[in-house]
Amino acid sequence: MSKKRVVHYINQFFAQIGGEEMAHVKPEYREGPLGPGLAFGPAFGDHAEIVGTVICGDSYFNENMEEAKAELLKMIKAAKPDLFIAGPAFNAGRYGVACGAISEAVKNELGIPVLTGMYEENPGADMFKSAVYIVSTRNSAVGMRDAVKKMSALALKMLKDEPIGASSEDHYIPQGIRVNLFEKDRGSKRAVDMLLKKLKDQPYVTEYPMPAFDRVDPQPAVKDIRSAKIALVTSGGIVPKGNPDHIESSSATKYGRYDLEGVNYLSKNRYATAHGGYDPSYANEDPDRVVPVDMMREFEKEEKIGSLYRYFFSTVGNGTAVKNAKAFAEEFSKELIEENVQAVILTST
Amino acid sequence: MKVLTNNPKVLEQFHSYPAVTVDYRAVSLHELMVLVRDFVHARHRLLTHPLSGSVKPNETLYKSIGLTEQPEDQLCLESLNLIEQSISTVDRFARIRKDIKEEHHQDLQLVDLTLISSAIDSLAAAKPLPGTPPSGSSRLSST
Amino acid sequence: MRLELGYIHITDIRFGDASKVEDGVLYVNAEEVEALVLRDERITSVKVDMARPGESVRITPVKDVIEPRVKVEGPGGMFPGVISPVDTVGSGKTHVLKGAAVVTTGTIVGFQEGILDMSGVGADYTPFSKTNNLVLVIIPRKGLGSHEHEHAVREAGLKTAVYLGELARELTPDSTEVFETLPLTEGVKQFPDLPRVGYVQMLQSQGLLHDTYVYGVDAKRILPTLMSPTEVMDGAIISGNCVSACDKNPTYVHQNNPIVHDLFARHGKDLNFAAMIITNENVYLADKIRSSDWTSNLCAFLSLDGVIISEEGFGNPDTDLMMNCRKITDKGIKTVVITDEYAGQDGASQSLADAHESADALVTGGNANQVVTLPRMDKIIGSEEYVGIIAGGWDQNKHEDGTITVEIQAITGATSEVGFAHLSAR
Repeated sequence: MSKKRVVHYINQFFAQIGGEEMAHVKPEYREGPLGPGLAFGPAFGDHAEIVGTVICGDSYFNENMEEAKAELLKMIKAAKPDLFIAGPAFNAGRYGVACGAISEAVKNELGIPVLTGMYEENPGADMFKSAVYIVSTRNSAVGMRDAVKKMSALALKMLKDEPIGASSEDHYIPQGIRVNLFEKDRGSKRAVDMLLKKLKDQPYVTEYPMPAFDRVDPQPAVKDIRSAKIALVTSGGIVPKGNPDHIESSSATKYGRYDLEGVNYLSKNRYATAHGGYDPSYANEDPDRVVPVDMMREFEKEEKIGSLYRYFFSTVGNGTAVKNAKAFAEEFSKELIEENVQAVILTST
Repeated sequence: MKVLTNNPKVLEQFHSYPAVTVDYRAVSLHELMVLVRDFVHARHRLLTHPLSGSVKPNETLYKSIGLTEQPEDQLCLESLNLIEQSISTVDRFARIRKDIKEEHHQDLQLVDLTLISSAIDSLAAAKPLPGTPPSGSSRLSST
Repeated sequence: MRLELGYIHITDIRFGDASKVEDGVLYVNAEEVEALVLRDERITSVKVDMARPGESVRITPVKDVIEPRVKVEGPGGMFPGVISPVDTVGSGKTHVLKGAAVVTTGTIVGFQEGILDMSGVGADYTPFSKTNNLVLVIIPRKGLGSHEHEHAVREAGLKTAVYLGELARELTPDSTEVFETLPLTEGVKQFPDLPRVGYVQMLQSQGLLHDTYVYGVDAKRILPTLMSPTEVMDGAIISGNCVSACDKNPTYVHQNNPIVHDLFARHGKDLNFAAMIITNENVYLADKIRSSDWTSNLCAFLSLDGVIISEEGFGNPDTDLMMNCRKITDKGIKTVVITDEYAGQDGASQSLADAHESADALVTGGNANQVVTLPRMDKIIGSEEYVGIIAGGWDQNKHEDGTITVEIQAITGATSEVGFAHLSAR
């Protein structure tokens, strides 16, 4: 049986081209394994080999993502791989994002199994964990041996078409999808062991983390709503037609700020939703259904509210990382405070 | 207690029961839950759990939910939270389609009837009702 | 309380002229069992059958599973308040036919009971594929109401288990195990340095097919209360629960409550197993508030340091679980909860119907929506007619080659919420 072909992605640092000063280097292809790729050899044995390595500088990749992806894809495709591996990136943020992004692109474009590896707090982990298998590694290259061991084991499973187990079995970062497994100990014993650890204040791992609770204390009520300046903010993706800010239809990385001066309602000819997570027909038919400018104008006229703030803010909530959403709000809230906006109506879909 | 139900057996059993007002609607389970939410919005408080019973929401058609007879002074946020969570659970299960055969409708009605009866028993135990017939569930032994 | 369990290991089950245990083989006289069951005039006919580990046999729809036991020393008898007169059990000596079980089947309502495969992939998911099972297929009198039907089947199973248990009365156990808890103050003196740990068991108690009985009392009507953990080993808690095969606790699981056993295994070494508290999962919301208040107060009264809370069911009980967990945690007591999940067939949905941040140490019995294809079996005990409609089954799930596709929630005991099985999820 011939060996399966693997292509490996690494950054300029692991390719020994240089550190930050060389992070601008453009994609290049080299035959055979390089750097950490050499460590995969023994683990792959007769089953697989790294036939080529693609390299890209972290700055180049992150600043020119679409071009970088396209160039890399071309090189990877030409090497006819059966499997694609990126990293491990450990806790290097831009490298992690690059590993995640290129893995996802290879998976979607070439339809072959892919995997990468990084530390769970690497920003790339949060962004790509549900798209590709990301083996959980330590936070620095000290963990290289362990990372290669786990990544090669998972790679071999993929190459042999074996079913992938639960995250705890195959050491990947949970993808938000629950996978069953048979444990060595029955549930009651696991519960007793967990309780004993908890009683001794030792670390333990819950088998199901509770959904994240980001509780926000309600603000005191607006004293005089009749004189309040109110802003509209939405995660429902309503934007001027043509989506001038190119807000992504899912996993948004940006938001838009749009002028309502002279706008009495959101006409379907001028606004539409960029959201890819729900049936847009009702929102597109009348965007006021998501961002109720029409009602706010009516209330303004009837003096039920003071005024509607001149701009509304919009992003797509579909799969958008909480961290991103928080950052958006932190940014535009400054403006809202400066402009004496007293209340915000947040609409979702 | 106001009992919102789409189960004809519950109407039949409790239509003249003291301290229980049966509000029967011939609607789907999801629609019934949304109606309950409307009542919660109108300041009624939930008295029974909307996800009663172990028959999963995609395996039954019938549901009976108890609310305060009268609206209260304030919206009950716990009730609102509970009914919202329950609607989302029902919708989540609805994605897995199960065929429910006509011949089991009676059984499903009976199970729902006994679930709400157990709550009516609790209500009766908490507030003795004048001239109440014996406990709801004990009279349900034959269909 | 001190209870000694004497285990007689059963490795096979066969029909015989006389019911007896010989060299690890349980011989059963089928006529005697039939006669015993038919003494209940609500039952028209009963078929006595057997299923052994590894056989190509499917039992469905399963109602209850019960372990044959007999009280040989100490007060009371098996299943007090139900089969034996009310008397406090849990002390003295009890003999157990370990490796044997009584399985009842009966279509009480036209859906919802479980599948038990003795071999194939389905056998991996149910603990009762490893026991030598005496199966009762029970047909009730025509026109018998559902409540009465459930009651008749429940009693038939318990009576049969008692009948088989009696065979062990005079036998010498192959092995024994002793369980002992001391009264409160003595227990503190005995292990002054060990954390005091309690077990809170939530009992299914919502109505027909959702009931549990404690010394014969419907658990809906109890206030949370204290028990000696050894009491359950003598059948103080029995199942009247027929819905949700994967995560209901059959009587067998109450008798062998794995949390009780695994806490005892560390008792006096790493922890002091101080108390077992039972509570319910009622439909009426005020009952939930009262029961969870009471449960957390009991935990505080007992000065517990840690508590394991087990759930039974999904949906409504998730609310009780979270209330119990929150209120017990608020008393400064460390908690671990056990539940199972309904995360959808793709595993992508929210697992629980309720959640609270205090439930930060959770053991799961796995995702009950997971789909599995079970092989064709040579023999069906009961009826496969209902496979399409039991929880977790659907109409297009029977294939031409005889295999069936179901969610594992259809499999008896697959996602046990008292941790009786090995399944988990991540």
